[in-house]
Parts: sequence; structure tokens; C-alpha cells
Amino acid sequence: MTLIVLLLGLAVGVLVGLLGIGGGVVLVPALVYLLHMDQHLAQGTSLFILLPPVGLGALREYWKQNQVDLRAGILCALGMLVGGYFGGLIAVPLASRNLKGLFGCFLILAAFLLWRKPQPENRTTESTSNGSAHG
Amino acid sequence: MGDGPMRDAGIFGAACLCGIASGLFGIGGGTLLVPFLALFFAFGQHRAQGTSLIALIPPTGALAFYAYAKAGYISWHTGFLLIPGVFVGGMLGGWLAKRLQPRRLRQVFAGMMLMLGIWQAASAWAR
Repeated sequence: MTLIVLLLGLAVGVLVGLLGIGGGVVLVPALVYLLHMDQHLAQGTSLFILLPPVGLGALREYWKQNQVDLRAGILCALGMLVGGYFGGLIAVPLASRNLKGLFGCFLILAAFLLWRKPQPENRTTESTSNGSAHG
Repeated sequence: MGDGPMRDAGIFGAACLCGIASGLFGIGGGTLLVPFLALFFAFGQHRAQGTSLIALIPPTGALAFYAYAKAGYISWHTGFLLIPGVFVGGMLGGWLAKRLQPRRLRQVFAGMMLMLGIWQAASAWAR
């Protein structure tokens, strides 16, 4: 059991670095299905994991590539701090089953958002030092 | 979206929305933030992801966490076990990200979320 949890952490971490996300998107379903947690418990635990700076290792790699907009990042952190509190207030009284379903819908929406994005990779702000000739 | 205060206000507003999703779903919020930055503020995928990681530096999720902790919805034991893996894995993933093409990254990401989402919604409501 302990080993599963440790490995799960590692797998989620790779996604954190690879995709620039907190990992909760993957972690919450993993906790629900692998460890049979209740939806609320999985989400709370996921938030707990995000408390220490788990993304710092990944951030360092992006920083070295000059792929970080510090000003925007700080603004985002502030907005998310405030919004997060209200989101938590909404989630806690919801029925676990509905929360789980909503989470699923959110994932589907997020997937479409990401898929249909155009390709502004070579805009002025973009460092093209790694010369990824995509497209 | 140009530069200056309008852009800042826009980014802050978008982040507030991401924060609500973050608290509501117990996630970091980067899932929404990355596409938002890319779609509305013309960030390249890698830059959006790097900037999203800044926003995930604590105490971004602290208030959301507080709401759950008060209700007793935290598994401390599992949480502590997960943290070291996530940290080490994060470095590995950041290193990998430099070596992959942005579009491929995004598609893998989107495909994974779509499957997870359908699975979650179906198992919650179907029956």
C-alpha cells in the first residue's frame, strides 16, 4: 500500500513537471479509484499535497529555459488564493456523488479547451532557443 | 489583449476563476490556468506551463485547503507519503518537457483528461 502511494506520487510528479499543472487533476481520480477514497477526502488530500512547493523542481527547469512570466505568475497566484477559498466553500456541502460527477465534467471541459487551442508558440514572448520546429 | 493594467486585470480575473475551480475540485488550478494563459493572453505552451508553476507556489491553495481541513476532508497519512514522489517526479517531468514538442504535450494532456473526465462523470452518475 505504502509503495503504491509512493509510486503514485512519483508518477503524478512527472506530470506536474511535464504539463505545468499541480497534479490534482490526475491525483484526485487516482486517489478515488486506487485508494478508494471518498471524493471530498481525495480533493482535500490533493490540496494538502499542493501546500508544500512540490512544483519547485519543475519550475527550475522552466526558469532555466526562460519560460516563466513572473509578473503574470504572481497575479495568478493572488487570484487563485482568493478564488480557492470560495471554491472550497462551495465544494464542502455538496454531495460526494455530485462532486465526483462535476469533477468529471470539469475534466472533459478542460480537455476540449486544451485540444482546440491555436498555436501561438512563436510569439514575441516566446524563447525559441530550443528550436522546436513544430507544426 | 495588450500590455499594461488591462492585461494584468484580465490575468488576475482569470486566475480568480481558476482559483474557484481549484477549491471546488481540489486541484492546483493549472489545468485551467495553462489553457487560459495560452488562449487569451497569447502565451506559448511552455511559457504558460512555466508561469502556471509559479502560481502553484504556496500558499496559493492554502485557503482552499483550510476549507477542506475544517470539514475533516484530509487524509494526512496518504498526503505525506505522496509529497516526496511528486517533488522528485516534478523535476523529472520538467526535464522531459524541454525535450518534447508543445503540440504533442498538449494532445497527450488533453486526451488523458478527456478519458479521466468521462470515467469520473460516468461512475458518479451512471446507474
